[in-house]
Amino acid sequence: MASAALGGVAEAKTVIHVMHQGDPGWVATYGEIAKRFEAANPDVDVELIYAPHDAYNEKFSAAVMSKQLPDVMELDAPFLANYVWSGYLQPIKLLVDKDVIDDMTESNIAQGTYPIDKDLYAVGLTDSSVVLYGNKKYLEAIGARIPKSVDDAWTREEFEGYLEKLSTLEGVKWPIDTFRGYGIKTEWITYAYGPILQSAGCDLIDRKTWKSVGTLDGDPCVEALTMMQKWVTNGWVVPQSSGTNQFFAEGHPAALALGGHWFYAEAAASMKDDIVVMPLPKFGPKGASPNGTWIWGITTASEHPDIAGKFISFMLKDKLYRDYAREDSGYPGLKSFAADSPLYAAGGPMAVAFEQASKTAIARPPHPAYPAITSAFMGAVDEIFNGGDAKAALSKAAEKIDEDIEENDGYPPFDEQQ
Amino acid sequence: MSELAIPTLEAQVKSERSAIGSLRMVQTASILVIALVIVSPLFMLLIASLKDDRFQILADMGSFRAFWVSNPTLSNFAEIGNLSGELAFGRYLVNSLIILASTVGAGLIVNSMAGFVLAWGSLRGRALILSLVIALYVIPQESIIMPLVIMVSRAGMTDTFAVQIVPWIASPLYIFLFYQFFAQLPKELFEAAQIDGASVFRIYRSIFLPLSLPALATVSILMGIESWNQYLWPILVTQTDYARPIAVAIATFFGQDSIYWDRAMAASVLMMIPILALYLAFQRWFVSSFVGSAVKG
Repeated sequence: MASAALGGVAEAKTVIHVMHQGDPGWVATYGEIAKRFEAANPDVDVELIYAPHDAYNEKFSAAVMSKQLPDVMELDAPFLANYVWSGYLQPIKLLVDKDVIDDMTESNIAQGTYPIDKDLYAVGLTDSSVVLYGNKKYLEAIGARIPKSVDDAWTREEFEGYLEKLSTLEGVKWPIDTFRGYGIKTEWITYAYGPILQSAGCDLIDRKTWKSVGTLDGDPCVEALTMMQKWVTNGWVVPQSSGTNQFFAEGHPAALALGGHWFYAEAAASMKDDIVVMPLPKFGPKGASPNGTWIWGITTASEHPDIAGKFISFMLKDKLYRDYAREDSGYPGLKSFAADSPLYAAGGPMAVAFEQASKTAIARPPHPAYPAITSAFMGAVDEIFNGGDAKAALSKAAEKIDEDIEENDGYPPFDEQQ
Repeated sequence: MSELAIPTLEAQVKSERSAIGSLRMVQTASILVIALVIVSPLFMLLIASLKDDRFQILADMGSFRAFWVSNPTLSNFAEIGNLSGELAFGRYLVNSLIILASTVGAGLIVNSMAGFVLAWGSLRGRALILSLVIALYVIPQESIIMPLVIMVSRAGMTDTFAVQIVPWIASPLYIFLFYQFFAQLPKELFEAAQIDGASVFRIYRSIFLPLSLPALATVSILMGIESWNQYLWPILVTQTDYARPIAVAIATFFGQDSIYWDRAMAASVLMMIPILALYLAFQRWFVSSFVGSAVKG
């Protein structure tokens, strides 16, 4: 009787499944949030489904194939268009609290918006960016100008001039670490190097016609990648085999680092005041920086989208969640979180990184072909860095992207967008 | 002439001895270098697991400081040693051991029985079945993994121990290994037992199985390593901590923005111990099995 009664109580509870990735700190934090949400909503059970960062896409594919999509899922922002187009996500504006939606930064809205219906499909507490870290001593030794704001960023000529000077400075083994050590299996190449193309006046794909041939293999892109290839062949860039710690490793062999906002915590722990944070250089007519991180969406398979939305709202407002994100150098995606993050506030060491969000941030192409776009581009960059011809490699990548789009009949209605 | 020849011969012997000595020195040096190359990453792993600052571990990589710890601590092991709560690595380790023991235990029985029947059984079409088993071996696991996910999910097996054990018990490779081993044992053994009235199962259990220690050891080690290192499959079929193995849990330390080298190293050391113990326990038969195969080859 007792067990039957208990069974009855258990059945009365609504269960929502939340799929996420993250390091041990985040896993523990999500566990705590789930407990607090359950305490505040005694009729709801939150079941967390964890998948390691590197295998998240495989786990998601398995969930799709076995029809076991969760209610709430964490997703990498550039994959949003693909997921929405495939019918996996639903709009969240009416499901998540209005004060949370109103609190989103422009960049956060951009990363969660589907370009066809301009509706919001995902929201996050955080966003991301890439900046140029510099070793203060080395920069002073070559008399480099230290930019104080995004408007003040180095030009291409200045940047390459400093690379050349640094290459002959005593103690410097490599003028810059562009984090080739992250390899070609992560999003790093498209995420961090894509803005260099955009700053140089081109893109991975034409965002009106959604054709890559003529854009990715156009002259500005070929010129930009040839420039980067020159950095590599000159021996200015930390090679892939040397890992991702050369900026702050013993002896500080790398003078500059084109690194993500998260790199600050690692570097500052070792270099203390010897580190300067600068905006990404302007490689052409305008500045450009990346954005986008892991954000939260509600799947179309959810039988309880209202509770799923309630959970997301609860989490994004949760004080301990925000405290942990702040400790983890989380890059603010909500205005209230930005106001509460001294690292990114005016005068803070990473202020210039946050300034990029409103001035130069460009989302990766919001198109369902993004998985093909990023894969083709990463392959091309790898080929170019290993001595391949930039024009040939980019043409091959552009053709591959266009082929994928053609094979999917233009991913309608993207083919109707002009 | 002879007076002249003797010192020449002595000189020749001396010179040959010296050449052999030099060769041995080169051999020893080469072996030491190879051993160093193999052992140094493991040593680095062990040293890093005794450091409690993940940023320092990263900063030390690529220099000799990676092989030295000035203030060794077991705090990383203490942090990951929990048996309950979030990230209970002790629990994950126990889960892995359960999966390993069950898969290897069941695998030895099933695969050896199948190998024995294919070698000595009276089953019709044994040659055809054997060809099919060999053909199955060339199909990569990755190509069947998604259909398998759908099957186990429809069978309601996700997030269980069974889902990580049952699909991997029968293996074409191990069936073939047992078949090869049993097939080379003398026919007289089988016939003598038959004359004594032993059933086929009795012959398998009481005569052939006790003689197949090298094959059992080899399959135990290979199957153990395979089961212990399973990564993609448990990610796809487990949802919670209930049956999650340690290989998946270690991946937690490799986050989106940061890597927790300190605890990842400690967890890796913990993960190495059981499989190392398995190898040490069976190495005598394992090596003899390989030597035997080489001589026959």
